Amino acid sequence: MRRADKTEESAVYQRVVLKNASPYHYMKVCLVLEDASTRPSAVELKQFIITGLKSLYGEVGAALNFDLLKYDENTLTALLRVCSRGLVKLWSSLTLLGSYQNQICAFRVLQVSPFLLALTGNSRELQLY
Amino acid sequence: MSVFMDLNLSFSEDRSQLQSLVEMAAHLGFSTVAINYVFEPTAKKKQEIPVPKPINELMDQLPIVQGRSRPIRVLNRLTVVMSDSSHFRPNAAEYRRFDLLAVHPTTEKLFHSACMLYDVDIICVSVTEKLPFFFKRAPVNGAGERGVVFELCYSAAIRDSTLRRYTIANALTLMESCRGKNVIVSSAAEKALELRGPYDATNLYPAAEGLLFGLSDADAKEAVSSTCRSVLLHAETRKTASGIIYTMKSCSQQEETPESEPCRYSQEPVNVPQSSTVDVLTV
Repeated sequence: MRRADKTEESAVYQRVVLKNASPYHYMKVCLVLEDASTRPSAVELKQFIITGLKSLYGEVGAALNFDLLKYDENTLTALLRVCSRGLVKLWSSLTLLGSYQNQICAFRVLQVSPFLLALTGNSRELQLY
Repeated sequence: MSVFMDLNLSFSEDRSQLQSLVEMAAHLGFSTVAINYVFEPTAKKKQEIPVPKPINELMDQLPIVQGRSRPIRVLNRLTVVMSDSSHFRPNAAEYRRFDLLAVHPTTEKLFHSACMLYDVDIICVSVTEKLPFFFKRAPVNGAGERGVVFELCYSAAIRDSTLRRYTIANALTLMESCRGKNVIVSSAAEKALELRGPYDATNLYPAAEGLLFGLSDADAKEAVSSTCRSVLLHAETRKTASGIIYTMKSCSQQEETPESEPCRYSQEPVNVPQSSTVDVLTV
């Protein structure tokens, strides 16, 4: 055991093993609005998500820890970080959000992963030749 | 794993709206959808049972399902809203035009007979009102044994917060008696933006902390995939005679005679399994 450790000391990479205990989950979501000209800002989007959490889970749900890491206003695509225990709550409140400023809307959850790196690419959008 | 299905897309006269609905379903990854025609008989006047429109009349080309490079499969489904036992006529010829048959019982007595007697595929659970009756174990178990499933729709929960309350409450009462088995989840969407993806629907039903609809992870996934598949297979059995003779749509006729009406059920048995005993029976 120890000998193996010695030989691996020179390795430049570090191996991280998480046994079902990754602290955060990352979600890539896209907001689809009926009227495409409406463009909520990052602050408005986060406020909107909190309203959704509050209407479904109440004050306790609204206190859920989540962050808006990145937001592209042109495509309305956002990267959310949420602690793993709150993933189901956040996701279900996004699913049941149905209207933004009196127009129909839908959140399309594009990707969910416990690793942020996994959201850099999407295997469903690959163009294979 | 079975493919994802959404067995309830509301039919609308507006052709473009229906098209965008099917396109969105294909984009979200549903391999099979069913267009739902609702028939609500009233005591006062006699009404006609709706006739399903052939799919190729509704849309020119079926969209490709995301990630499967195969066109989406579109079925027809009839939902009979029952407030009286005479509203459901077993063996009505009009029902035979539909691929799936569902009933929506509004009283406990009708619910009992729908579970135990009627030859249907789906029993709809009301989501727009407080449940007028209690789900008893006996009929729910009886439905499970007969392969009849219960359906929960989520689009009402998206539209309105009061309806959301009813949806969750009714879903939880149902789960108490059927323990998560024999339940399908569908959208009942009228607009494309009311549809949600299969994984979103799955996520609505986790039992993790007694959340929302109270299904376990595996059951929740089955509710949008393999249970739906068993519904389709159950619907096929309605077209067989003792499991020996099978009637199927004669879509191949269309190529030979384009003028003839496509996608009608032929009255004679078309596809007979290779078994020598069958010939005697068919005559």
